[in-house]
Amino acid sequence: MAVQEELKKIILGLLPQVDCVIGWGPGPDLLCASPYFMRRPEEVDNFLAGPMATQNTALYLPEYKGKKVALVVKGCDSRSVAQLLAEKLIAREEVRIIGFPCAGVADMGKIAARLAPHGEPGEAEKAVYGEKELRITMAGRELVLPLAEIKADKCLRCAHPNAVFSDHFAGEKAAGNDDEFKDLAALETMSLEDRFSFWEKEMSRCVRCYACRNACPLCVCRDHCVASSRDPHWLTQADGVSDKLLFQVTHALHLAGRCTGCGECQRACPAGIPVLLLKRALSRAVEGLFGHSAGLDPETRPPLLTFQVEERTIKEKAW
Amino acid sequence: MKIGVFICHCGSNIAATVDVKKVAETAGRMAEVVYATDAMYACSEPGQQAIEEAVKKYALSGVVVASCSPRMHEATFRRTVERAGLNRYMFEMANIREHVSWIGRDQGPNTVKAIELVRMAVEKLRLNRALIPRKLPATRRALVIGGGVAGIQASLDCAEAGLEVVLVEREPSIGGKMSKLDKTFPTVDCSSCILGPRMVDVAQHERITLYAYSEIESVSGYVGNFEVVIRKKAAYVDWDKCTGCGLCIEKCPSKKNFDRFNEGLGSAAAINIPFPQAIPKKAVIRAEDCRQFQGKKCGICAKFCPTGAINHEQQDELVTIQVGAIVAATGYDLADWTVYGEYGAGRYADVITSLQYERMLSASGPFGGHIKRPSNGEEPKSVVFIQCVASRDPSIGRPYCSGFCCMYTAKQAIMTRDHIPDSQSYVFYMDIRSPGKGYDEFTRRAQEEYGAQYVRGRVSQVYPRGNKLVVRGADTLLGSQVEVEADLVVLAVGGEGSREAAGLAEKLRISYDSFGFFLEGHPKLKPVETNTAGVFLAGSCQGLKDIPFSVSQGSAAAAKTLALLSRDMLESDPQTAQVDIKRCIGCGKCIQVCPFQAIREADLRGQSKAEVLEAVCQGCGLCNATCPQGAIQLSHFTDNQVLAEVEALLCP
Repeated sequence: MAVQEELKKIILGLLPQVDCVIGWGPGPDLLCASPYFMRRPEEVDNFLAGPMATQNTALYLPEYKGKKVALVVKGCDSRSVAQLLAEKLIAREEVRIIGFPCAGVADMGKIAARLAPHGEPGEAEKAVYGEKELRITMAGRELVLPLAEIKADKCLRCAHPNAVFSDHFAGEKAAGNDDEFKDLAALETMSLEDRFSFWEKEMSRCVRCYACRNACPLCVCRDHCVASSRDPHWLTQADGVSDKLLFQVTHALHLAGRCTGCGECQRACPAGIPVLLLKRALSRAVEGLFGHSAGLDPETRPPLLTFQVEERTIKEKAW
Repeated sequence: MKIGVFICHCGSNIAATVDVKKVAETAGRMAEVVYATDAMYACSEPGQQAIEEAVKKYALSGVVVASCSPRMHEATFRRTVERAGLNRYMFEMANIREHVSWIGRDQGPNTVKAIELVRMAVEKLRLNRALIPRKLPATRRALVIGGGVAGIQASLDCAEAGLEVVLVEREPSIGGKMSKLDKTFPTVDCSSCILGPRMVDVAQHERITLYAYSEIESVSGYVGNFEVVIRKKAAYVDWDKCTGCGLCIEKCPSKKNFDRFNEGLGSAAAINIPFPQAIPKKAVIRAEDCRQFQGKKCGICAKFCPTGAINHEQQDELVTIQVGAIVAATGYDLADWTVYGEYGAGRYADVITSLQYERMLSASGPFGGHIKRPSNGEEPKSVVFIQCVASRDPSIGRPYCSGFCCMYTAKQAIMTRDHIPDSQSYVFYMDIRSPGKGYDEFTRRAQEEYGAQYVRGRVSQVYPRGNKLVVRGADTLLGSQVEVEADLVVLAVGGEGSREAAGLAEKLRISYDSFGFFLEGHPKLKPVETNTAGVFLAGSCQGLKDIPFSVSQGSAAAAKTLALLSRDMLESDPQTAQVDIKRCIGCGKCIQVCPFQAIREADLRGQSKAEVLEAVCQGCGLCNATCPQGAIQLSHFTDNQVLAEVEALLCP
């Protein structure tokens, strides 16, 4: 891929100036890449970009505070970076942003479902991501999966396939789609009782592993997360459905006006709980109320992190 | 911990609908409660004594009183436990009067709720810690904002008592609305004759510094230690040189400008001194009216000024002062009367406001004290006063009574007959409100001695007929329609908070209502205090009032200021935010949400951390709620304490 080669050149050029370049490299299997931390030129050979590069590279940035890092970002990753900058969680002079036109990433769940009759993803002998399809050789036969059918849902509605801001950009900018929050429609046609039962059922599978939190690039509290803090003792360690739901709701509220919709929480969930829906509902509310979408501009303050006696859009005193 | 719980009967206020014995009995079984009882009046002297004795007898380490609102008696009981030897923050109050007995009649549920509230208080108290207030030095200087009669009174009283006073007035002269009035009710003495000497006193007082034609740019700091930046607006005249001779006004070629002091009756020169008794009596050039500023060749004032005081290059100047207390006395403005299209306000020259009428009556006004119809300069023989214009009218969002219009209208009716003996006044009114010393007698005199015809009813329409105005309205006492042919219609326009009040309130960090009036600390018991320590209120900025009340409140605000600054050291409220620096990651979200600028970024061994300025912090808790990692906790309202209350309620 021409873009991948161009990216490698940019990375090689930047390596001497930074402590580390974060991108993607070979993963646990042929279908999926892993986050990849490049410090030496020879490591750049293994750099990967494309539909297998699912992870959000911005996740690691707060850990690197104080060091110089270059980051290869998809559009969604760049929004996380912008949001981290807007919240002063990282310093602009410490990061170099390398953008490229993202055509969408693969949903490993969708691939696994398509492969199920033939075997596990790990059994793939060969996998080639083409322009329009993924060709997998498994047990001696070739399977062709059209990319459109295995693309992650978030990519189908992605409005910002290119980095929203970058220091370097490889390739031609791609066109985005309109996000109309159609994913929320099904849930919103339910009655409140049905919706609550839906969440009770979904949350019953939760094992409180906090993978959703750990994968979230904007969950930066680490040791002081509400889930584990002893003092203040916000949440119990009880394993009931309501306790699990309380954590998810708290998580979503902490991300109101901050969540960029990268979907890493949902991708990381081993139980397949659609936790992104909660955050999406709040994102739409914040967009409607404050006209604010998180992570589009590193200079904008998130609306819930400011104080105004009177909000422009909320008329408390009509005079 | 050993907790004592006291359930107050409040006479029958609580005991009539809450089983107080049962509440006390249940409280006795709550965690760490070693003593629980009921009391007839916990706040009375024997009630407080019983608490003190119980603290000693049972070696209590914390006390819960279930009675009225903490706004009422929290301070009382904090002093009680302090007298008994406890820290005053080892006390919690459960409000079982306003929140229970006064809002529900059913004893069963009331008792259950009272028990729940007591349990919440006990659970919170178990996590309370002793808090020690800090001592802060205070600057013995007061700032008074607004040089109307209330501000003048407050300034003089403070200065007389020995305080340094800085008085800031946005207009070129002090005097406020009172200086625009011709006579004052109910004595009909000349307004400027009684106000003038006070204005001179201000100018001459050695401890009063007057900044006229100046505004408050910013306020920072806290009670005892405010730092205020004053913007001295450019007058384009060097006031040190200006003698107030008025030659410039005479020579100024731009004379047809809106006359602010005279409410637009008549016109003013671009360089002007608003009125003869002005303090300071210095000229001001209004750039928007001045030919020189419009790029035309002029500078005539500069040519004629005998002292060379004119300076078209002058710039605004910022002055920073330190004060210990602030009195806001920004007064009022007339409400928008032009919303009443049916009265022809703003359309017919002979429909004027009451304040314009005052300027007409004033001997130093634009008409030299002669009542004339603005349309043709003739003397009116029939004058109609319409009361409650922009008052008591919910349909235009002005539900309140402005309070002073009934009285000034009676005065104006009397003055009309005085000026034009063969004139007839008509007053359309809703109710006559005259509850003051000599006030009702005054309104009767207007009717009985001066022949003003009072018509009870509202006016539906004012329209021209020939060169007269027809006022059509209802007479609700006769139950009929009435029509009066008038030469002049005077609208008794109500007031609202000064137009710049909201902006100032933001700078002062005090609350204001939707009409622009500043909110007092308590409508009855703290009428001149605000909820921001060290900021007091005087005059109509707090709510409309007439001259005697404004003066009283000016003195009251001065008394509060003096009481505050009579101490060398002030105590800060320790219920403030505290940063756990181990948790703080220096993201600064708390700084962004703090409405009081009480948090700043501080450097701790190369790491950025939040730092709370305890004296500025008002304990609102916004930072507490915003901080994702819980690194900021509000003392006395920590997350754990709030959680303990919630859990006491949800999972007893």
